[in-house]
Amino acid sequence: MSRWRYFLKRVALSVPVLFSVMTFLFIMLRLGPLSPVAARLGQNASGADVTRLREQLGLNDPLWQQYIDYVRDLMLFQGESWVVRAGQPIPEAIASVVPVTLWLGLWAIMLPLFIGIPLGFYAGLRPNTAGDYVASVSGILWLSMPNFWLAVMALAILRQADSGLFNWYTLGPNTQSIIGNPDFGFLTTTQLLGVIPVPTSFDVMAFATDIKLILPAALILGSASMAAELRIGRTAVLETVNSNYVEMAKAKGLKGRTIVWKHIFRNALVPLIPIITNEAFILIGGSVIIEYVFNLNGIGRLYFDALVQGDLPLAGSLVFLFTLVIIFLNIVQDLLYTIIDPRVSYQQ
Amino acid sequence: MSDQLNDGKSGSTRRKMLSLIGGGAAASLAGCSAFLGDDDGNGNGNGNGNGNGNGNGNGNGNGDGTPTDDGYDGPSLDPTVHADKAQEAWETIQSNPDPDAQDVRNEAYVEIEEAVRDSAVMMNFMHTVGERFWYDYVDVPKYGALGPSFQQHNNTELTNDDTELNLINSTHAHIDPIESDDEASSTVITQLYEPIVNYPNGVPELNNKLIEGFELSDDQLTYTFNLKQGVQFHDGTEMTAQDVKYSWRRVVESPNSVRANFMLNSPDGVGAVHETDDEGNVVPDSLAVTVVDDYTLELEVRNPNPAVMDVLTYTAFSVIPEGLVGDVEGYEGDVSHGEFRREMARGTGPFQFDMFSLEDEFRATRFDDYHDDVADVEAVHYNIIEDTEAIFTYVIEENADIFGIPTQYYDPDKVDAEEDDRGRLVGTYGPLENDKTVNYLRVSELGVYYFAFNTRNVPIEVRQAFMYALNQQEFIDQVFAGRGVPAYSFTPPGIWPTGLDGYEQFVEEYPYSANETDLESAREVLEMGGYSEDEPFELTCTTYQSPAYQEAAGILRDKLAGSGISMELEEAQFGTLIQRGYDGDLEMYSLGWSWSWESVAYGHFGFEPKNTDTSGMPGENNGYYLDWQTELSENYSEE
Repeated sequence: MSRWRYFLKRVALSVPVLFSVMTFLFIMLRLGPLSPVAARLGQNASGADVTRLREQLGLNDPLWQQYIDYVRDLMLFQGESWVVRAGQPIPEAIASVVPVTLWLGLWAIMLPLFIGIPLGFYAGLRPNTAGDYVASVSGILWLSMPNFWLAVMALAILRQADSGLFNWYTLGPNTQSIIGNPDFGFLTTTQLLGVIPVPTSFDVMAFATDIKLILPAALILGSASMAAELRIGRTAVLETVNSNYVEMAKAKGLKGRTIVWKHIFRNALVPLIPIITNEAFILIGGSVIIEYVFNLNGIGRLYFDALVQGDLPLAGSLVFLFTLVIIFLNIVQDLLYTIIDPRVSYQQ
Repeated sequence: MSDQLNDGKSGSTRRKMLSLIGGGAAASLAGCSAFLGDDDGNGNGNGNGNGNGNGNGNGNGNGDGTPTDDGYDGPSLDPTVHADKAQEAWETIQSNPDPDAQDVRNEAYVEIEEAVRDSAVMMNFMHTVGERFWYDYVDVPKYGALGPSFQQHNNTELTNDDTELNLINSTHAHIDPIESDDEASSTVITQLYEPIVNYPNGVPELNNKLIEGFELSDDQLTYTFNLKQGVQFHDGTEMTAQDVKYSWRRVVESPNSVRANFMLNSPDGVGAVHETDDEGNVVPDSLAVTVVDDYTLELEVRNPNPAVMDVLTYTAFSVIPEGLVGDVEGYEGDVSHGEFRREMARGTGPFQFDMFSLEDEFRATRFDDYHDDVADVEAVHYNIIEDTEAIFTYVIEENADIFGIPTQYYDPDKVDAEEDDRGRLVGTYGPLENDKTVNYLRVSELGVYYFAFNTRNVPIEVRQAFMYALNQQEFIDQVFAGRGVPAYSFTPPGIWPTGLDGYEQFVEEYPYSANETDLESAREVLEMGGYSEDEPFELTCTTYQSPAYQEAAGILRDKLAGSGISMELEEAQFGTLIQRGYDGDLEMYSLGWSWSWESVAYGHFGFEPKNTDTSGMPGENNGYYLDWQTELSENYSEE
């Protein structure tokens, strides 16, 4: 089977998954106890107002009709939020939170990659030394501290501006607050042909400020995966080091550096691929608490609010989006495997 | 208005509330309260003014004072006595609208309170208290009984070099006055828009905002308003009577309005004359508001109603330029409704719209042609924060000028305050974590927290047992860090119908051991209902998602364990709780109520037993979810 045929097959197989997810959510939110009307109007709603809003939201249509409308709106990415962003068009609502989440997710993935994997490899190449123990123990510590606690502690520590130890606000670019959203003002763009944004200038200071704002949140969000990468990286390196082909390479008299980069590194990366791609999922689910505590206006928070308030169109659109992203990431993961490890192929 | 008692967060986020928690729950500025769980981290709160009573109490002791054969001396265990009394009292209020029947109505209000207390359909345990803190470079007027969401910041000054006032707010989805049913949106709308009368700074004294005055006809049915001249909207056009009429028509005719009942209902609203079609919708332009000339406007009401002017202070009645939005018949609309509710504003308020980013921030700038005191600060900025940790961090960084302090960081020992002439505590609080000592204000509010029972599912003996077990002060100290006032009634003392003397008398007659746990009486009354340790009555208490309420319910559960009540706790989202209330699918539940204007009726309408029939909800009935009609003698049968 060619790579493309395989790819198309995977895409085709994801259609039923998408439908079942959307249907499940519809059943949960429409037939469960949540009432968007009550959530929106509160305790003192008059009957007339309730009736009118039900009509407006289409809750009086037959259920099959509601389902069809719901699926159609998801497919076309249209419709309006019912409760959380009452009346705001869905694309607008999602577009307003995507940048923050991407920014958070980007750093939450990059930081562990560039800290966790090198540390893991370092520990794996020097097993049972002091350095190995320090790296491994600190990794386990990070892994065992829950994010919500870390987040609260980070705020409590960083806001001590006068502690005499260090002042987070003046460290690097000055910031007004630990919490809040980056403003992404570092890139000014112009529209080429009216549609394609082309960067025209880049403000280093604003860029640094935005990084600083997201740094504590990203470090905490990525902490668990950083530790996981460290542990698995260490194990993978150890296994590879003791394998026959490395012995062989040594016997041939290759330099240590060549062995490490040419033989060990690539093979040790294989078990890390699923760990890294799975991390991309924290963009979606794992960031609710972090977004709340650091007051980031991101997708996780919006999704959580939509779910608990029965905001079907908004929650549905987000789930639809998440499912697409996850399916896409899975396919990317498979492709990566074949690139890194030629022994993996599409042949049955 | 419903108010969510919102501790500063969620729920819903999102409706006007006294705040206990946070999160975006919905609560309504109109009385409804979801007490969420984080307290009022945004420096809001409500307050409680001074009584307006005139009278002499008329209490008549315990219930109706018929001792039972076996020597039980608590309120009568015949539930029909109380339900009938409440129904009769409400009918008395409805059929005596004349101003000179005020005493009759006041007595009927007290009778409703007695019936609620004696039949224990609702266990009120705390009247709310609002607290506000502000750094010493801020000079802000004290707010009053109705809370800070009524406060316009044109008289707030910054004595440092800042020109922008920084505040914290909860999530809200729009800034359209007729959609406003929550504290967060009304806080902002108050800066942009104005109704014709208001309560300045939330102090419950009517003030003519956009009118010179008004005349009331001899039959008490026609109000003639004389509008101020030269009041400008933010686009420079002058406000006239046509604008007011259009704005009020939107309240009752627009499909976007959520508070039409405030104009249409009586006595818990204005009770304006209007026509409805077969489907119950208001016929376009049938609302009896007549433009006499550019500065004169008439409003006709169905029956005399002392609360009319108070109701007209509600956010929804704010004036916008005629024809701005096309959601009433006969207008095309200059802007789409979607744009009007999120991307622009054109009112007569001291600040004009600058930017609004949902769930992120809101900013308004000074309006230099404002018809009243032009603002001192150049802009007012609200950072929208739900999480208590984030709120506290923002406060400690001195990013917020006026704020609330979440309960987990609040220490009652840091308060140093004295009472002012309105009974508010004014002083300082500190030092905070950043070593600053800040100004402090504490105001008793027009709000109440309660547990209520669906009487179809919970018999009177069990309800009374809860009342005996309740220790109000213990709840307040243990669960709410002392931020509350013990409640023995639904209506707060500040608006007690027969005045403070009447209130004190009512408290003296409280039959269930105020501020003490009386388990002996609880057991006694449970035994009379046939419940004991071996055969307990089992019920589920459903609370709003709030750690505070869970803790409070847990205290009751533990106290009553082994006395004949076996209690389960469960939590539900605000919207879910309300829906289950409509369905009559609750046994014991927690909610709160806060007043949007000074009126006992606005609160008591929810106790009329026939209006608590959940089978008619949410259609024709809008009372509390008590199903109290099942205990009216016409419906009641001993099982």
